[in-house]
Amino acid sequence: MPAEPRASSVSRRLLGLLLLPLGLLLGIGLFVDYRSGAAAIHGGYDRALREMALAIGAHLHDANDDGRVDADLPPQAIAVLRADSQDDIHYAVRTAGGELVSGDADLAVLPPTSGDTVFRDARLGGEPIRIVELALPVGRARVTIAVAETLHKRSAALRHLLASSVITDLVQLLGTLLLVWLGVRYGVRPLRALGEQIAQRSALDLAPLRAAPVPAEVRPLVHTLNALFATVREAARAQQQFIADAAHQVRTPLAGIIAQLDTLEREPMAESLRLRLRSLHDACVRLAHTANQLLALARSERTAITGEDFTRVDLAQLAQEVVAHELDRSLGRGIDLGAEVAPAIVRGNPWLLRELLANLVDNALAYTPRGGHATVRSGADASGRWLEVEDDGPGIAPHRRDEVRARFARLPGSPGDGCGLGLAIVDEIARVHDARFVLEAGGDGRGTRARITFADR
Amino acid sequence: MRILVVEDDTLVADAIRRGLQDAGHAVDCVGSAEQALAAVDAENFNLAVIDIGLPGADGLALLAQLRRQHAALPVLMLTARDGMADRVGALDQGADDYMVKPFALAELVARCRALLRRSHSVAAMQLRFGACVLDFGARRACGRDGDIALTRREWAVLECLALNTGRVVAKDRLLQAIASWDADIGANAIEVYVSRLRNKLGAEVPLRTVRGLGYRLDVDAG
Repeated sequence: MPAEPRASSVSRRLLGLLLLPLGLLLGIGLFVDYRSGAAAIHGGYDRALREMALAIGAHLHDANDDGRVDADLPPQAIAVLRADSQDDIHYAVRTAGGELVSGDADLAVLPPTSGDTVFRDARLGGEPIRIVELALPVGRARVTIAVAETLHKRSAALRHLLASSVITDLVQLLGTLLLVWLGVRYGVRPLRALGEQIAQRSALDLAPLRAAPVPAEVRPLVHTLNALFATVREAARAQQQFIADAAHQVRTPLAGIIAQLDTLEREPMAESLRLRLRSLHDACVRLAHTANQLLALARSERTAITGEDFTRVDLAQLAQEVVAHELDRSLGRGIDLGAEVAPAIVRGNPWLLRELLANLVDNALAYTPRGGHATVRSGADASGRWLEVEDDGPGIAPHRRDEVRARFARLPGSPGDGCGLGLAIVDEIARVHDARFVLEAGGDGRGTRARITFADR
Repeated sequence: MRILVVEDDTLVADAIRRGLQDAGHAVDCVGSAEQALAAVDAENFNLAVIDIGLPGADGLALLAQLRRQHAALPVLMLTARDGMADRVGALDQGADDYMVKPFALAELVARCRALLRRSHSVAAMQLRFGACVLDFGARRACGRDGDIALTRREWAVLECLALNTGRVVAKDRLLQAIASWDADIGANAIEVYVSRLRNKLGAEVPLRTVRGLGYRLDVDAG
């Protein structure tokens, strides 16, 4: 059998297909969240920076009303202004002419060109800073107050924002995938149920599948399968009907010929004629036997069997019936045929199992010499329920045991009038019952033991 | 005895008629279920041999009809189909025996004889094996060397076997046949009775042990 390609699971496919777009969507969400969060953080700190600029502006005076600006900024006020645990605060107040009124001389101040407040990013002493420049009239003069701070607080806040966003979004992503996985598992449950329904069936069970628990998407599959089952069922039925009709058409004239020969043999006649009649009779019986075997083989083929006529079969009862039925033949051949049965119930086709056992007994009787024994047994043990026929005839050489199961196989020098289909029929019937057919030597190494072991189901 | 043969194949019907006539029976042959019903209404038959594969209404339908109107008439079914349905159907609907075509004429005649015997009282039953004659009505067994004395229980066992000639009778059934005399009789008591019967009747009476099943008295010569 060629190796099956690895089965793709629906849930695995769905998860795989969802992972990339979901990740992408969450990435975009993360970016947007971060952008707006960052704007809010910057806005807040910028406002605080402007407050500081306004606070400084409150300390500026044009005392003499001459356009000269004084800064009334005591060291304590400046200390309070610069008091920041994380960032360095710089400030500078310059007149419109560029004259430094107060603050740090190294802080570059650009008066706002439009409006009265400008925020911008700059660098001071190699370090990035955020600067606010506020144009303010002081008396008759105009000054520009610049306040700047390093970005440590902001960076820390942004890092925090980023970290919390990433964590939230990752949790969301994982949560979504988990929900999808659970949902898919729940969603494909009817599919699994359908799979199990099919897996548990015997290969011969051609009854329609139940469509009720199946989702609409899979219903066409179930309908198609059921249609296929119906076709196979119909074909099997047609085959059985054909075999039954063929049996009737073949057996009725054979029955007429054989019965007529029986009546003819009672008439007085010359011995030479009687001998010819006898051999004609024997040939007809052989022909009838072959026809029976061919019909039995056709009937036991897998394509002709549906599980419909499988029922409970008591192997012990079957063994007793077959022994009783074959008793006259065994007496005629001088073979002691008996049964040793223990209860064993299997599911099977009663007619086929009877045919199987009859063929095994037939074989034992054909190959066991006069005075020999043949025993039919049934029972159940750890290996399963079994049926066996043992004889103390010449046995079958180990290397021939597979050969004899073939159709029309007859070992060289075989006695009897068999057509070589018996064990092929047994093999076929065992197969449709999922049973094992083993040929081995009898109990004390002599003869043949044919054993059919039924699998536990 | 008068026997009705319902078979549409003339070759088969003719052979059966010859076989049964040779055995001393009167035989009427018809070819359809309708003719068969007309025949059983007009005459008294002791046995019917019916082929299942009749044209028109088949043998199983005829059997069902007969069972409604002539419940006591023993019926032997013939079939050319060995499928389950025929066997089970025939026995379920009250056939007394069935045979699958093709059959040996001698066996058909023997089975008819066994069915006829079973439908009559034990009192009229007489079996003959070679020189040995068993007369159940008179409770008299006669061998090559004169009368053989059998006990009541031995007669009971023999009777049970004789009513089922050609069939294997389980030990349990034989046990039931004599249990009315002895409440606590063991299974090996049967072996004792059978072995005594064999000693008394001799080898001419084919009373066989079927290993693991029971005993069988072969069909007699008539």
